[in-house]
Amino acid sequence: MAILLQLLLSGIALGMIYAVIAFGYQSTFATSGTLNFGQGEALMLGALVGLSLAGTISGGPYLNYWVMIPPVLIFGALQGIVVERVAVRPAIKTRSEFGWIMSTIALGIIFRNVAENVWGRDDLPFPSPLPTEPLHFLGASVLPMELLVVVGALLMMVGVEVFNRRSIYGKAVVATASDRDAAGLMGINTSLVITFSYALSSMTAAFAGVLIAPVTLTGASMGTALGLKAFAVAIIGGLNSGLGVVVGGILLGVAETTTGFYVSTGYKDVPGLVLLLLVLSVKPSGLFGKTTIKKV
Amino acid sequence: MLQVDNLTAAYGQVSVLHGISLKVQKGQVVTLIGSNGAGKTTTMRAISGMLAPTAGSIRLGDQDITGLPAHRISRLGVAHSPEGRRVFPTQSVRDNLLLGAFSRLTFGGRKRGDVEGDLERSLDLFPRLRERRDQLAGTLSGGEQQMLAMARALMLQPDVLLLDEPSMGLAPILVEEVFAIIRRLKETGITMLLVEQFAGAALAVADYGYVMENGRISVEGPALQLQNDPKVRAAYLGGGHA
Ligand SMILES: Nc1ncnc2c1ncn2[C@@H]1O[C@H](COP(=O)(O)OP(=O)(O)OP(=O)(O)O)[C@@H](O)[C@H]1O
Ligand SMILES: [Mg+2]
Repeated sequence: MAILLQLLLSGIALGMIYAVIAFGYQSTFATSGTLNFGQGEALMLGALVGLSLAGTISGGPYLNYWVMIPPVLIFGALQGIVVERVAVRPAIKTRSEFGWIMSTIALGIIFRNVAENVWGRDDLPFPSPLPTEPLHFLGASVLPMELLVVVGALLMMVGVEVFNRRSIYGKAVVATASDRDAAGLMGINTSLVITFSYALSSMTAAFAGVLIAPVTLTGASMGTALGLKAFAVAIIGGLNSGLGVVVGGILLGVAETTTGFYVSTGYKDVPGLVLLLLVLSVKPSGLFGKTTIKKV
Repeated sequence: MLQVDNLTAAYGQVSVLHGISLKVQKGQVVTLIGSNGAGKTTTMRAISGMLAPTAGSIRLGDQDITGLPAHRISRLGVAHSPEGRRVFPTQSVRDNLLLGAFSRLTFGGRKRGDVEGDLERSLDLFPRLRERRDQLAGTLSGGEQQMLAMARALMLQPDVLLLDEPSMGLAPILVEEVFAIIRRLKETGITMLLVEQFAGAALAVADYGYVMENGRISVEGPALQLQNDPKVRAAYLGGGHA
């Protein structure tokens, strides 16, 4: 029982990271119908930039962990703007339907190569800002950092949701997502909104990067698998459902930790893919995917 | 106020407008009528920047707005209630109205003025919307969505209002209501370009009218004169090609 609880808790922490990255996929898909397949690399860059600022690898620490977060978020946003300008906007302009897929993948590979050259190929330790002594809870132990992951991920998503609902700029983002031409008629600069959603998506990924770095291995290759799994989560939960990615993320996270323990760590990636195939064959719009209401 | 000269436009390789010229003077209601596929919607879309014209010019006051993106034209004071309503279905009636005032609420846009007061006034003008202000626009009936699309366009406090078939798909009683509102807007001195399938009713409220056929203006004149033009009457009573 305690073991199952333990697996659940670890699964949830992992799942929330998937959810945050998947949330980033959703934000660009909503406004532009495109995705950044280099989302995992955005996470990795965020973590490594955070490490350079708050770790000891380059003569630091220059900043403590908490103070390092805002500059990492800004870095993430700028990196997202680069992705949109370089890889996505040209494809949208020329109405190339699939051009952005190749170009965002290519840019992701370039980012990974740059990271290998700047930070090396080896995994680096990321100092934990919280005690590494686990907390005990009904016989299960939880790292304080894992709690931070869950809280931070939820805060990020709630923050974006509040922005979308309350502020006029957030409302403009939602309007652009539902009808881009009509949003233009309202005076909304919709290509700026798309740039913004790329900035937001890379920013959330960079944030996920610094959240997860202290409890995992930090290095140039850390993002690839995470980005891919989060993509599966976005598909499982539904590309247009905020709740969907949280549920999908937790499902996948828990499926991985339980398979890793009860079956074999060698198989821990299998349940997610099986889940993905199942959802795609039963409900292709995702578990929580909405079909939009249109009146004629 | 609004002057279109020799406008041509195309969808891809297919040219649809072949040199449209029209003029809407300040405080005038001008109507554009014509059979299905004549190019009325395309003309509206070119004016509001949803579609870039291939040639010709569009002037708003003393500004050349030809080929500007839609959001800049909106910020210069042209509101467009598009064909098919196009309300934002996942947002509330109130949010839709606020989005209509987006250019007034944001940096670098139009003069702000009293947005909340205008919101109240538009709910007075469309009482059906008042009861439903917190409802999602996608759950409104077609007629209510049409009212919302008009109210949303008015929230810009536009210098020129483009209305594309505000009566489309409405029950006769609602069509009456829409025309009553158009008459009230006219009394407030609004400048409007109106596209309507009910040519008779449109000519009755308008000051001036243009008849479009196959991407060209075939007849134009004061509304009263068009109402009595036998060719126009034949085309809109019989539906043939006069
Ligand atoms: N998105 C589009 N792509 C290609 N052709 C289009 C498109 N929209 C309209 N057309 C064509 O352009 C022509 C003019 O269409 P438009 O919608 O402007 O006509 P309309 O006068 O508004 O007609 P209606 O009274 O039916 O609304 C038509 O022949 C139509 O088939
Ligand atoms: Mg039309």
